Amino acid sequence: MTEVIASEESEKPKQSPVPRSIGRSLWAAAPGLLGKYGLVLAFAVVMLVFTWLAPKTFLGPINMKNTLTFQSVTALLALAVMLPLATNEFDLSLGYHVGMAQVLVIGLQVNQNLSWEVAVLIVLLVGLLVGTVNAILVTRFHINSFIATLGSGMLLYAISNWYTGGMQIVPSSLPEPFTGMVGQIAGIPIPALVVVALSVVLWLVLERTVPGRGLYVIGSSRRAAELTGISIPKHVGAAFIGCGVITGLAGVFLGSMLRTGTASEGPEFLLPALAGALLGATSIHPGRVNVIGTLVAVLILAFAFSGVQQLGAPFYTQYLFNGGILIVAVGLSGYASRRNVLAAARRAPVATDEPPDQQPSPAAEA
Amino acid sequence: MAGPALLTIRGLSKTFSGQTALSGVDFEVLSGEVHGLVGENGAGKSTLIKIVAGIYEPDSGTIELDGRTVHPNQDKLPIAFMHQEVGLVDTMTVGENVALTLGFPSRGGLIQWGRLWGQTEQAYAQLNLRAPDPKGLVGSLSPGDKAILGIVRALARTPRLLVLDEPTAYLTLPDVKRLFDALRRLRAAGTSTILVTHRLHELFEIADRVSVLRNGALVMSSTVAGTSPAAIGEAMLGRRLVALDAAPSASSLGEVVAEIKGVVVHGAKPVSFDIRRGEVLGLVGLRGSGHERIGRAICGDEEIERGEINLGGTALSSRGRHVGRRLREGVALLPADRQREGVFSGMTISENLFPSAATRAGGWHVSVQGEKRRARSLVERFGIRPPDSSEIIDHLSGGNQQRVLLARWFAEPKRLLVIEEPTAGVDVGAKFAIAQYVRGAADKGQAVLIVSSDFEEVAMLCDRVLVFVRGATATELAGKAITEEHVAMACMGAGGHASRVAQA
Repeated sequence: MTEVIASEESEKPKQSPVPRSIGRSLWAAAPGLLGKYGLVLAFAVVMLVFTWLAPKTFLGPINMKNTLTFQSVTALLALAVMLPLATNEFDLSLGYHVGMAQVLVIGLQVNQNLSWEVAVLIVLLVGLLVGTVNAILVTRFHINSFIATLGSGMLLYAISNWYTGGMQIVPSSLPEPFTGMVGQIAGIPIPALVVVALSVVLWLVLERTVPGRGLYVIGSSRRAAELTGISIPKHVGAAFIGCGVITGLAGVFLGSMLRTGTASEGPEFLLPALAGALLGATSIHPGRVNVIGTLVAVLILAFAFSGVQQLGAPFYTQYLFNGGILIVAVGLSGYASRRNVLAAARRAPVATDEPPDQQPSPAAEA
Repeated sequence: MAGPALLTIRGLSKTFSGQTALSGVDFEVLSGEVHGLVGENGAGKSTLIKIVAGIYEPDSGTIELDGRTVHPNQDKLPIAFMHQEVGLVDTMTVGENVALTLGFPSRGGLIQWGRLWGQTEQAYAQLNLRAPDPKGLVGSLSPGDKAILGIVRALARTPRLLVLDEPTAYLTLPDVKRLFDALRRLRAAGTSTILVTHRLHELFEIADRVSVLRNGALVMSSTVAGTSPAAIGEAMLGRRLVALDAAPSASSLGEVVAEIKGVVVHGAKPVSFDIRRGEVLGLVGLRGSGHERIGRAICGDEEIERGEINLGGTALSSRGRHVGRRLREGVALLPADRQREGVFSGMTISENLFPSAATRAGGWHVSVQGEKRRARSLVERFGIRPPDSSEIIDHLSGGNQQRVLLARWFAEPKRLLVIEEPTAGVDVGAKFAIAQYVRGAADKGQAVLIVSSDFEEVAMLCDRVLVFVRGATATELAGKAITEEHVAMACMGAGGHASRVAQA
């Protein structure tokens, strides 16, 4: 019995013209390449532009270290929110959560006199708990994740404020190992190293494990994912829990950086984190959130803002940035994933007059 | 009593990019009659209706209403339509849905709700039907009530002609009776109905005349009294229906893989049958006949109200939906709706081939090289074009996407594979290829269950066929008896033939 390979398939239009020269083939491939590596290009541009504009300060070691250190918190949060985003869910409790984590890690040492190790551990466990609660709200009670996490975030904010009584927690001193978390090893800020390490782990999970792939599969088509035996509650739940734990970790670093417990420090991280993850979705794997894209995006945002600051821009420029980038990022990301579908539609010629219940004919099927 | 001609269509033709949908059709509906319009899918019924509705413009031909030439795409005509997808808004009330066609009574720009509810009651009273609560949400109505609402709505503007497209598809017998009573009242009042249907016994119950389309041409027009289901069937299919041979004895089929015992899904009647290893069994019927749900119930995607499904001797849990568990037991589903339930848009062919633990051998680790190798062999085996496994699946044609889905489930042998509408929206070459894979898998001992409403597909693929009519198994066909014509006649409930079928 021979297997019949399709004979009557009308061939698809070629994806690019026959390259007559390298130049032409590059030109033809440009849109695809730009999509894939555009962010890296943008990053290079940002670095070059600001180095040229403010050579003495921009590339200076102090600026570099400060930027990397501070932006590590954003980077961790962007990586954290990537997980639910992969399944098409939002976690808007990030900002309030990292604020509460920061308050707790300081407050538990100052008010409850716990050792820094125990404080950190508790904050991480709280992160797990927050993630679990979000997971239950979304998968068990089927509350739209946008609403559910907005609500849970607000509750966390309430807890933060209750704990601090509306005041700043100012420790007289903090143990060396704790404050040393934002120090350096071999000249590289430790938080940045942690970000890199976490990125590697997340990359491996998302790109090289079956459950990780399951997140993207759910994000693509929840219904189809169910029919391939993927357990939606387990995967989405794990995504939220992972997000929660990483957010807790980010809070620990934030606390170490600020050395105070301030309830209002935290909420402003939500948009940059989202902007980073969504802008990252426009690159490397256009249309879906991914680790490398997120990292590059966060770097772009970080250094662009830093550069602008070096040039003396006012403090509110960062809001301009975050808002603008968010709009651009979501717009581009949507465009990138729609491009695939549009390209597919263009390849399958459909007569607009085609009556719907006609049996498909060889001519109609591209 | 039928009166003078109401709608006269002469020489209607329509072509769609090289494909002739209608050629020179002469069709006439008298006033005060119920006129059945019958034909296979693709025969041109839908096109004809859409031209009368003004959605398409005919290439040639004339349409006359009461003797005057009209142009449906320009003139407003007293013709009301009810399509298969009734077009009701579930989240709005009955009254609002009626008002969507009748108009919202208003004064000074504000809606007069009192008059709106009254308007609803009136619309139902016109047909001597009891209205449901006008303030109730349409979403909470039964399919039968929804269909009635669709018709009441269509009739509220007192049209001269009513066109119903498969109105009884999802109705229960009592609902069908209510519908037909309403149609009889209309007829007495002089309104005519064009009834597009596949269900011949219903035709013989309510229609006065019937016209048959085949391949875009009108091949028969007769009074219902002057013809028979067999004659209509032959006109539809264009072939003489030969007497059935005795079917060949059951070939070397393996042991029973699944027993379905008295399974009741969603208010249908109890269904029982067996599936054996190496057998390609077809569950076929017109849309809404209940076979679709049984297939889903076996896969764990639909709840079972009563009865039991045994896989290899062990009864499966009947509560709730257990797709994951069934997959672990070796039962997989290839759904009909590729776009919404099968394909992972935005992901590569490779990722679509191996999306989850149930679709791959090995553990939780993804080896890029290993996956590439396995993808390449599957792409070759199933003739997927373009053959690059890192291609995004949206770039593939429908036929190739279907091949990817087949490869996903056929790659590793399953205990039972349930496939819905396997060759829908797929080109001829791919249809044959798919038939080969199904046959090949069955020859290797795989049990395959095909769930379909496509007679040709079923005739091509299956060893044995169970025909569903109105939620219950009506007929069983086996071996040589499975031809497109016999399957079609059995599904349409054309009496005589249904009783003379051979068993394996």
